[in-house]
Amino acid sequence: MRILFFLSFFFLATASLQAQFSKAELQASGLTCSLCSNAINKALKTLPFVQSVETDLNKNLFTIVFKPNQVPDLDAISKKVENAGFSVAKLWIIGEVKSIAVGDESHLAVNGLNLHFMGVKKQVVNGPARLQVIDKHFVLAKDYKKFSADTKMPCYQTGTMSDCCKPLQATANSNRIYHVTI
Amino acid sequence: MLRFNPAAKICRKAYRILFISGFLVCLMARLQSQELYIFTEPASNMPARSLGVRLNNDFYSMVHDGRYTYRLNPEVMWGLNKNIMLHLNGYASNMYEQGFKLEGGSVYMKYRFYSHDDVHSHFRMAAYGKVALVDNPAVLTVTHTHQVNDNGQITEHTENLVYLADEISLNGNQSGFLTCVIATQLLHKLPLSGSFDYVNRWDNLNAKKSPYQSDHGLDYSLSAGYLLLPKVYKDFRQTNFNLYCEFLGSTSLDSHTWYLDVAPAVQFIFNSVSRLDLGYRTQIAGQMTRMSKSSFLVRYEYNFLNIFNKK
Repeated sequence: MRILFFLSFFFLATASLQAQFSKAELQASGLTCSLCSNAINKALKTLPFVQSVETDLNKNLFTIVFKPNQVPDLDAISKKVENAGFSVAKLWIIGEVKSIAVGDESHLAVNGLNLHFMGVKKQVVNGPARLQVIDKHFVLAKDYKKFSADTKMPCYQTGTMSDCCKPLQATANSNRIYHVTI
Repeated sequence: MLRFNPAAKICRKAYRILFISGFLVCLMARLQSQELYIFTEPASNMPARSLGVRLNNDFYSMVHDGRYTYRLNPEVMWGLNKNIMLHLNGYASNMYEQGFKLEGGSVYMKYRFYSHDDVHSHFRMAAYGKVALVDNPAVLTVTHTHQVNDNGQITEHTENLVYLADEISLNGNQSGFLTCVIATQLLHKLPLSGSFDYVNRWDNLNAKKSPYQSDHGLDYSLSAGYLLLPKVYKDFRQTNFNLYCEFLGSTSLDSHTWYLDVAPAVQFIFNSVSRLDLGYRTQIAGQMTRMSKSSFLVRYEYNFLNIFNKK
């Protein structure tokens, strides 16, 4: 019994090691040429936590590989794309997850990011995970409207933690909370 | 019997122009789009905290004396932030004199005030203002030499004839300002850009404007472009080849004369950082007195991305 207790304690303490997001995939909107893609490509490469950027010029898709053991700043990614003159249509964070139970409105701190799951059925995620960030500046304006209509949570509008996010406050690195869906 | 009817003639011309534009629009709808227009600016901006340099070379066929003239127009472009960009231009030409001379410069600021992006479409609107200060004579002159019979003695007589043009151009010709609104729509690979501006002529730096020339006017444009090559992108080093067709018009608010130009152009983009534009612009309709009815443009542009970057 004691062993079980220690095991579960160990399991909780290492919850943040249960998942590692190693890269992000980004679809940009509003692009018409390789000159535009290159502007985004070069801007993303200036971010300190970015190791490399691969571009699919035909689909306007950017694969951003993070440097190991660094906290990726998703807001900085979105800002770089907007400063290049475009917007983020979709952004997924991709990584390996070890048996994490998630459901609608569940919270998780991974890689120093506070995540709030929305529109997700109760499930255990194991293996490769691909989470779409659905906050403002990470989806198209019309999609943001759609997601906003589905939730009354103030944190979705502000992007900062509120009462609904209390379970996370102890482990959070900052007040910024990203809303994700699978 | 057919009667000469100027209105019918204009209608026929307008119909032809509409037909050509309709054909181009249909053609572009089936192909990849491009909006790095040659003779106009799109509502989109250049990337923030980046610098672009252009070397514009304009070759004009002059109406008043039949000469071919050249204007050198270096340009520096700066993306202050995602919505504001600034252009500085310098002008030098042999249009007003036989020799090549420095003419002046202009400042241009564009503000993108509306953006609606989707994955395969976007609609953007921008406004810009431009102020040009040049040191050219207010009018073009033609030196005309002829022989005069002065009481049986034949002498050579030289006189300077003044050529009054209603065309207002802030690209090195006249001092003045203009304010413009642009809308660019990209819809399922069909990119269209339209602009509308008000242009006002000032006195040049050392020459008062002539009261017999237009003081102000309205300009308008419709532009479209498409990506011909590559069919499939492989990497940033691939050269892009783009085709453009633009319609550029102007109406004088004083003489109420107007013109409409068509401007086809080709563009090469190298390494996704530089471009070479080759364009031809010629009048297809109108009756405005102009300095030049056709011109050729050779432009090289290089972009320095993220050089003012904040980490």
